[in-house]
Amino acid sequence: MNILRRGVAAGMAAPASGELSLAGLRRSLWPRLALGLALLLIVALVALAVGPASIPLDATARIVLSRLPGLELADGLSTTWRDIIWEVRVPRVLLAGLVGATLAMAGATYQGVFRNPLAEPYLIGVATGAALGSTIVVVSSLSVSWHGLSLLPLAAFAGAMVSVVVVYGVARVGNTVPATTLILAGVAVASLSTAVTSFLMLRSTTHMFTIFSVVLGGFNTAAWPKLIWVVPYAIPAAVLILAHGRILNVLSLDEEQARHLGVDVERTKLLLLGAASLATAAAVSVSGTIGFVGLIVPHAVRMLWGPDHRTLLPMSIVLGAAFLILADLLARTIDQPSEIPVGIITAFCGVPFFLYLLRRARGAAY
Amino acid sequence: MSARNPLLILVAVLALAAIACGGGGDGVAPQTTAATETPAVTIAPAAETPSPAPVELFPVTVTDSNGREVRVELPPQRIMALAPAFVEILFAIGAGNSVAAVDNFSDYPSAAADLPHLDAFSPSVEGIAVLNPDLVLIFFDPGGLQEALERLGIPVLFLASPSSVQEVFDQIELLGRVTGHEDEAETVTAEMRDGIDAVSEKLTDVDQGPRIFHELDAMLFTAGSGSFENDIYNLLKAQNIAAETGLAYPQLNLETVIVKDPEVIILADDPPVSVTSVKARPGWSNISAVIDDRVHVVDPDIVQRPGPRLVEALETLARFLYPERFQ
Repeated sequence: MNILRRGVAAGMAAPASGELSLAGLRRSLWPRLALGLALLLIVALVALAVGPASIPLDATARIVLSRLPGLELADGLSTTWRDIIWEVRVPRVLLAGLVGATLAMAGATYQGVFRNPLAEPYLIGVATGAALGSTIVVVSSLSVSWHGLSLLPLAAFAGAMVSVVVVYGVARVGNTVPATTLILAGVAVASLSTAVTSFLMLRSTTHMFTIFSVVLGGFNTAAWPKLIWVVPYAIPAAVLILAHGRILNVLSLDEEQARHLGVDVERTKLLLLGAASLATAAAVSVSGTIGFVGLIVPHAVRMLWGPDHRTLLPMSIVLGAAFLILADLLARTIDQPSEIPVGIITAFCGVPFFLYLLRRARGAAY
Repeated sequence: MSARNPLLILVAVLALAAIACGGGGDGVAPQTTAATETPAVTIAPAAETPSPAPVELFPVTVTDSNGREVRVELPPQRIMALAPAFVEILFAIGAGNSVAAVDNFSDYPSAAADLPHLDAFSPSVEGIAVLNPDLVLIFFDPGGLQEALERLGIPVLFLASPSSVQEVFDQIELLGRVTGHEDEAETVTAEMRDGIDAVSEKLTDVDQGPRIFHELDAMLFTAGSGSFENDIYNLLKAQNIAAETGLAYPQLNLETVIVKDPEVIILADDPPVSVTSVKARPGWSNISAVIDDRVHVVDPDIVQRPGPRLVEALETLARFLYPERFQ
């Protein structure tokens, strides 16, 4: 808790380096965004072109482009190639990007709302709730699917949401939700669900590969239904959070000041945390608990381009997507044909880069 | 990273090790404390034992998987067998009457289901000692269990999960020696060898069997080289698509399975998956096994347990791999 308190005091509360004018922001955001999007595009194309099946680049491009109306470029290519590109690689790359973007966005939002640099997307029990939901399904040996989606992500999502609602309900004091109470309630509920999960695992007769996958995370069975499942949560959440960039700037400085400026602080916090948690829960339910993305990406963006949420949020989304697509590419190719859990890659590659930035910035970004 | 619990990961990792020892099964077995068990140790063998263990063969000294010499003074009467395969072996070699307690996953033969069940993954020294065992068989030691029990004068045999059929034979014969049922153990392994030979004989002219994918879980964990399952497939001359990973229990992805194009897919999933859902996986409609309708569900309890029923597993798999040779 000492670290947490110090974080609240020194970390996020330092003033942003001057409110930029809207025109100034536009001037600085667009080149960065263009750069980020170009990077994302390159990473995505490489990820699309690499895999156990050696499919030539031009065939890959033709198969993807043939999905555009009026373009019949894939004629004569084997159905296996077409299925591998369109049914396996495309959804996998898109899902990794979507989950990376969601986690990075949620991390930036949590850090802003809580004014705490240690805040991360799983802070209020989303991950442990998801693991518990999955464990209950595994232990009861249920095998049901719903609209092409197996019961497992649905149970993980339900577990994550129950956890968030309980944490928020407990932490509520009248009309307000104090950050410290929320964090403590989150830690407590997470410990409880972890205990129940561990107990169920020890008592269950089933082997634990499924739980293992949920805990470490990965995209090795990514498919369109999973992607379609996350989009309705991730996109509206992104729109809502991006629209609150300026208000997050004020909130992350001083709630009192935000109140004076006419912001309904509690309602805004609830809205932002709700959106971030919902999107995280949807992401965790299909990808498992992937660590470090939600913590490292927003901080890296902050160190590179400063704490203004109007830059921080869109850049975190773009770089979060690029980072996780790249990590997933390594996860499936380093030890081919077997997979390495992507969470190991995000830590292994992300942390040294993060430490380098930390060393270079020496707190200057805050 | 406060949300990631090391214990959770540890338990999952331990469970990965457990599968080779037969962690499969259905239903949650309650932990029984069995306070009513009479702890009295009788020197004379139980009257109903088919062939009483000869006392004159004892003391017996064997070396366990940790390289420790374990000395058993008298034929054990109260064995605690903390893995399903141990229980199946002991019953098969006529030492079933000496089994006093089993692990939570042991459900075969049915006589084992009525015995007190203990947790093999978080074993309690006190919980074991109170049942007054004269021999404890473990495949997993979370740290110090063996020493703690030996300090109480209870001999403990640590026998690692076999990674080959030969190691299963070795374990059966070792358990025969240590329980005084050496002859029966040799009969059992001889019968098993005969069963395996009968299968192999029908495959002598097979040069290269079908490519197979052995699925352990819907997240595409499978059995690779160095696993017990892989050795079974070697006996069947099948080409395990995960053999080249060099890992005992690797995780593959959808694309790898498509590219390796298995001719037969064996589903030993726990929790179970349906053949229909496997065939409907993205891009899998082009896999030979799916096209030829050769996706089969097997009972993980039989296929994954390195015990006497491995011949049954071998015969089941042989029927799926070579339907024209095995009816």
